[in-house]
Amino acid sequence: MKLEIGNFYVKDIVFGEKTSYANGILTINKEEAIAVVKEDDHITEADILIAKPGDKTRIVPVKEAIEPRHRVGGGAVFPGVTGELSAAGNGKTFALKNCSVLVVGKHWGGFQDGLIDMSGEGAKYTLFSQLQNICLVADTDEDFEKREQQKKNHALRWAGMRLAEYIGSCVAELQPEEVETYELGPITERPQEVQALPNVVLVLQPQSQMEEAGYNDLVYGWDCNHMVPTYMHPNEVLDGAMISGSFMPCSSKWSTYDFQNYPMIKRLYREHGKTVNFLGVIMSNLNVALEQKERAALFVAQIAKSLGAEAAVVAEEGYGNPDADFIACIVALEDAGVKTIGLTNECTGRDGASQPLVTLDEKANAIVSCGNVSQLIELPPMETVIGELEALARDGLSGGWSDDEILGSSVRKDGSIIMENNAMFCGDRVAGWSTKTMVEY
Amino acid sequence: MKKKAILYLNQFFGQIGGEELADHAPEIREGLVGPAMELNKQLGEVAEVTHTIICGDNFMGSRQEEAVEAILGFLEGKEFDIFFAGPAFRAGRYGSACGHISKAVKEKFGVPVISSMNDENPGVEMFKKEMYIFKGGASAAAMRKDVKAMADFGKKILTGETLLPAEEEGYYGRGVRHQVWLESGVPATDRVIDMLLKKIKGEAFQTELPIPPSDLVPIAPAIKDLSKMKIAIATTGGIVPVENPDRIQSASATRWGKYDMTGMDRLEAGVFKTIHAGFDPAAADADPNVIVPLDALRAYEEEGRIGSIHKDFYTTVGTGTTQGEAARMAKEIVEDLKATGVDAVIMTST
Repeated sequence: MKLEIGNFYVKDIVFGEKTSYANGILTINKEEAIAVVKEDDHITEADILIAKPGDKTRIVPVKEAIEPRHRVGGGAVFPGVTGELSAAGNGKTFALKNCSVLVVGKHWGGFQDGLIDMSGEGAKYTLFSQLQNICLVADTDEDFEKREQQKKNHALRWAGMRLAEYIGSCVAELQPEEVETYELGPITERPQEVQALPNVVLVLQPQSQMEEAGYNDLVYGWDCNHMVPTYMHPNEVLDGAMISGSFMPCSSKWSTYDFQNYPMIKRLYREHGKTVNFLGVIMSNLNVALEQKERAALFVAQIAKSLGAEAAVVAEEGYGNPDADFIACIVALEDAGVKTIGLTNECTGRDGASQPLVTLDEKANAIVSCGNVSQLIELPPMETVIGELEALARDGLSGGWSDDEILGSSVRKDGSIIMENNAMFCGDRVAGWSTKTMVEY
Repeated sequence: MKKKAILYLNQFFGQIGGEELADHAPEIREGLVGPAMELNKQLGEVAEVTHTIICGDNFMGSRQEEAVEAILGFLEGKEFDIFFAGPAFRAGRYGSACGHISKAVKEKFGVPVISSMNDENPGVEMFKKEMYIFKGGASAAAMRKDVKAMADFGKKILTGETLLPAEEEGYYGRGVRHQVWLESGVPATDRVIDMLLKKIKGEAFQTELPIPPSDLVPIAPAIKDLSKMKIAIATTGGIVPVENPDRIQSASATRWGKYDMTGMDRLEAGVFKTIHAGFDPAAADADPNVIVPLDALRAYEEEGRIGSIHKDFYTTVGTGTTQGEAARMAKEIVEDLKATGVDAVIMTST
């Protein structure tokens, strides 16, 4: 498979007559863009706001982040999700870099939603403070979940993807400024000198804990809860085959933007042919029943062995219950003789004294750790709020609370906040961006 | 103004005498005794040592509660900002004494407590999670260096300086893990690749999440015939007589109790309850047998499926209890079980 991603580097975003891109300036026709958002009757209100790095802006509740893209020659950017099924990962896709579409609730948040600060101390947690963000701020008539802590956020998330495709389409006829090429041939047909390098697989464990449809990550539109691990080409992940769900405490989330740019995949590509032979991706999952966890681990180890992997990287999207899948998978691989590295975050509690993962095993002897989900974070007020600040306290965000006998509410009258890292939007950057680690005191 | 510090020493370093005076009762003296002078010097302009506490190692070892109570009494009403104990080097009883008193002082007065011990001192394993214990020398030859390490860190705390991770400061890790931004800015992807290549090549690498060796006890072989067996019940579910006579803690327990069930068909609500702070006690308080299943075992006993039920049940609280304390309590309980001829134990948790 050969994927060419043609990049357009967005330096500024403005509203204007025609949705277009020229010389680093992305212009959005707001009315037209909102019409695309409102193609779904369930969207009752929608607005688009721009948030830039350095702005004194706080964005909450953020539900999803998507990189605007266009599939050259037609076809859905997210096959099986925003359009008909087609194979992703082969051919040309255009991407608007340094920017993202952020899906923001106009009022209502939930367990899975997060917060972004565009400047100040809070900005260092999340990648999205470094991007030009097209914030879709909208509300829906999905009253069945308005006051539910767990929200599917279906209308909003799909509106975000439509908007990202609409904006991405403005570069359809242009020449990209840069082309990234991702090519991995069939495993058995690679040059001998590549085949002689250590064979490495990347095992991804996307979030799939919910039995009910609508919350989990999707692979080509298919609920990851309803699959057994399978072999995928890394290009498929980079090219829209995977979309994020709406379930996990937010600092552990892999947004759709993360999948589209998956740093660990890109990093393995850089090593491919030099230090390793990157075999590809084993797409696993994170289901709740013990038998499902064991079955997944069994499949992963078998696929890795059958592919001839001598080493693996395992990454999980989540913490708590999924730690059992993460450790089980590492143990199964080590037992099969595959040298394995784990990539995750930890939950050591506000005092740092809790066991870092729910399950531990001495065989998991090589783990890269990206942060503590329960770290307390206190941040001053921001001049502007996009969305609704009260959502952090009111709506059961995993890192927010309405009242605490010592700490009070997460949202204070002056607009300052106190929260757990749990509610930082992709705050642990566990897809591999993280420059945080964990140390013992 | 200088902050105030108090130092704990054993009878030897407190210049009372050697082993023959290890029963020396706790005392407090104004001013500086023995190593307190060096500590005072090292604290410099930041703090002064106002008092020295001296207690015999045997006294602390054999009459610990009395010793701790007396020392806490000495400290009542005294102004102090920080508490030091030792250095204890490799002296086991001294290390343990430093740990016990430091833990009690921290809990009662909420001040930082600092000690120093050699890595072979058993006090390290017992107390490293409770306090800052610096990695000290094997003998008093290291006195100056060890006191300096304690004092330097004490000064950092007292002046509000940023405290670095355990490894960098030089104390034994307390099992407390926090996130930090790497100054190098190296992203997780690069760290993964570095570890991956080293692991592939069989080179040494450092995990970012060290996993302690697990101490798994193999499950005992099944007993084929229970009809002649004497069965005991033990629990970490915190079932105790309502007055909790042994004052077992509701979390992070260090005490256990055994309570007589002679003549009882079941544990009655109102007579027994749970003191466990880690779950909703309503169901267990309404029927303690849901945790200590005496009712079901009596039925088995009557049917002859089991030989007999040991007269006492054994109990403590599991929540927050360290593995070290749990193992110690279990070993003590096992002694008792063996002495009374128990053949098998049913262990319930919550």
